[in-house]
Amino acid sequence: MGIRVENLTKIHQGVKILDNVNLVVNEGDFSVLLAPTGSGKTTLLRIIAGIEKPTSGKIYYDEVDVTKLSVQDRNIAMVYQQFVNYPSFTVYENIASPLRVSKTKYTEAEIDEKVRENAKLLGISHILDHLPEEISGGQQQRTALARALAKGTKYVFLDEPLANLDYKLREELRGELKLIFREKGGAIIYATPEPIDAMGMASHVGFIHEGKIMQYGPVKDVYQNPQFLEVGEYFSNPTMNILEGKKVEEDGRVYIQVTKQFKIDVTHVSNKLKNEKYYLGTHAHDISMTKDDASFVEIDGLVELSEAVGSDTEIHIEHGGKNIIALVQDVVSYEIEEPIKIFVNPRRFYIFEKESHKLCTKL
Amino acid sequence: MATIELRNIWHSYEGLQEDDTKTKYVLENINITYKDGAAVALLGPSGCGKTTLLEIISGLLIPTKGQVLFDGVDVTNLSARQRHIAQVFQFPVVYESMSVYGNIAFPLKNDGLDPGKINKRVLEVADIMEITNLLNFSVTKLTSADKQRVSLARGIVRPDTAAVLLDEPLTVIDPKAQWGLRRKLKQIQKELNFTMIYVTHDQHEALTFAEEVTIMQAGHINQNASPVELHENPETTFVGYFIGSPGMNIFDVNVSKDGIVAFQGTSLKISEEIAKQLYEIEDSLQLGIRPEYITTHVSTKDNCISGKVKLVDDNGAYQIITTIFDEINIKSRLAESVEVKVGDTVWLEFNQDQIKFFKEGQRISFNK
Repeated sequence: MGIRVENLTKIHQGVKILDNVNLVVNEGDFSVLLAPTGSGKTTLLRIIAGIEKPTSGKIYYDEVDVTKLSVQDRNIAMVYQQFVNYPSFTVYENIASPLRVSKTKYTEAEIDEKVRENAKLLGISHILDHLPEEISGGQQQRTALARALAKGTKYVFLDEPLANLDYKLREELRGELKLIFREKGGAIIYATPEPIDAMGMASHVGFIHEGKIMQYGPVKDVYQNPQFLEVGEYFSNPTMNILEGKKVEEDGRVYIQVTKQFKIDVTHVSNKLKNEKYYLGTHAHDISMTKDDASFVEIDGLVELSEAVGSDTEIHIEHGGKNIIALVQDVVSYEIEEPIKIFVNPRRFYIFEKESHKLCTKL
Repeated sequence: MATIELRNIWHSYEGLQEDDTKTKYVLENINITYKDGAAVALLGPSGCGKTTLLEIISGLLIPTKGQVLFDGVDVTNLSARQRHIAQVFQFPVVYESMSVYGNIAFPLKNDGLDPGKINKRVLEVADIMEITNLLNFSVTKLTSADKQRVSLARGIVRPDTAAVLLDEPLTVIDPKAQWGLRRKLKQIQKELNFTMIYVTHDQHEALTFAEEVTIMQAGHINQNASPVELHENPETTFVGYFIGSPGMNIFDVNVSKDGIVAFQGTSLKISEEIAKQLYEIEDSLQLGIRPEYITTHVSTKDNCISGKVKLVDDNGAYQIITTIFDEINIKSRLAESVEVKVGDTVWLEFNQDQIKFFKEGQRISFNK
């Protein structure tokens, strides 16, 4: 049981926004559609929800074809980026509103129970008699979420619901949503441009590129085994280091060489490397400030900028005209242009094909 | 560039009430000095008063009470122009009818400088901002990041600029272009030794840009310190929570004379020396510790507290484990390589040197 999207294409004003998308979201999944702005993820979500119609293809809920059903007839809930609350209704009435217009009839007592239960879940029990204008942006979005959940629908769709909230609120709500949806059952589809949303909440992630789902799978698997350079680069925070290198042979060993100093021994996988040029990928957290192992490759660079991110520091390093990002798990400070030594772990690299960007092998 | 001093600043948008206790202040008794050449960020949640404070520094607002001094001279009643303040706003302010060159030259033309000097200065500033190649372009053709560079260039073109004030300057900039601007801002601050004050609600921008960060909450300054100091020694529970991701774990505890810290049906031991000092305070105490200073063990260990795992978050670099202790949650870090599931029992070990204590939200310092 779950949601199935079959051969879905959407053409809008002659532009192909979605190109033969296939997707299965099983019951119990919290699925994130991840992509930069303008990649079609919101369109896909809206088509799955029934707000927009596909040009071709089918949508199944629990193996029933719902493609032609309107959103009202689908029994789903949707949460948007903009906080959509009725300004003249109290928080209580906002949460109650979908229950009052529902095809299933609820008694006042049932409505009251559902409103209070979901308000409690989202931590807004104390503001039920407030009007939207009297509460903060975070509380408004909590109200919208409580209203979506109050309907008790099996499927809930969310379109960047945290985008308009500030940093600390996003961090808090991410943790809460993960817990709430874990208890809820059904399935969640959540569209976002933020990789951290997928890492922090989802069970599954799909990366959308040029109207297609480039890769879909369990979050950890997609993170550790990106099948394309684009997936590795985007689904990573900070972005994965991607460096062009060429295959060289020295003293019977095979290397991929980025610069004179930056070369990675690939002898053990050399049978898979038929071409001359490749892209090397490595995560920022796999770059170390200390030589933790004799195999680590030492690289000299200059600090371009060090950025404090939460409780970590991202250090942007210039090396041989290339930009490399290292993640240090501490709050530290480096000066711009300061010389720095970094160490890369030769066992933590991905090799992508130069032309197709497809994963060739993992080291 | 100037040293900026704020003395006993109070501000109310409604003005003073006859009975001053009824005045609604958005800023209350702000006292702070920013040295010449300081790289400052004013950081806090929406509504904390940071933009009001910036406007008081720039001269857009006259404070209800208090004084603003630039290099010791009272400028409280002077305009932004008279204070020689350069301002950069969320939305780049550019004159659309002019070229990039015309935009940058505009303030100097107004001052009646001779064309030779204007030209020299415009080229200098354009070079600093790395927009020399755009000088002949119409500004309407530029990306928002480049427009922001032009607006910053125009801001600093007058050689007598006292300070550069920036109000959320990256908000409308494409995320991919933000990095370059963040670097540029930091670089010009350093190289030209500008006094720069940067308002933001984003801790990432604030901590990256600033050497000193002023943390504001509800009209008050909570702490003014370096990013490292804010992380290591937050003065208040609010700073502990607001800085860092996730923020500091903070919860109520009882401390006995012999060093037993009890909370939520569990306890751990701290040094008796500290416990003695805490015991004298008696009152409601809170313990604060950052997730990165708690070691998560998957088997029993001395002086650890144990609980059941409620949440496991994996950010790719490491895991954040949320463990339940009765009514509170404690977050801790765990290496990628260790597997922990929801419902598992874990043992948390607090790094003794990194345990902080707070009373009524303020950190307690100890005599060593």
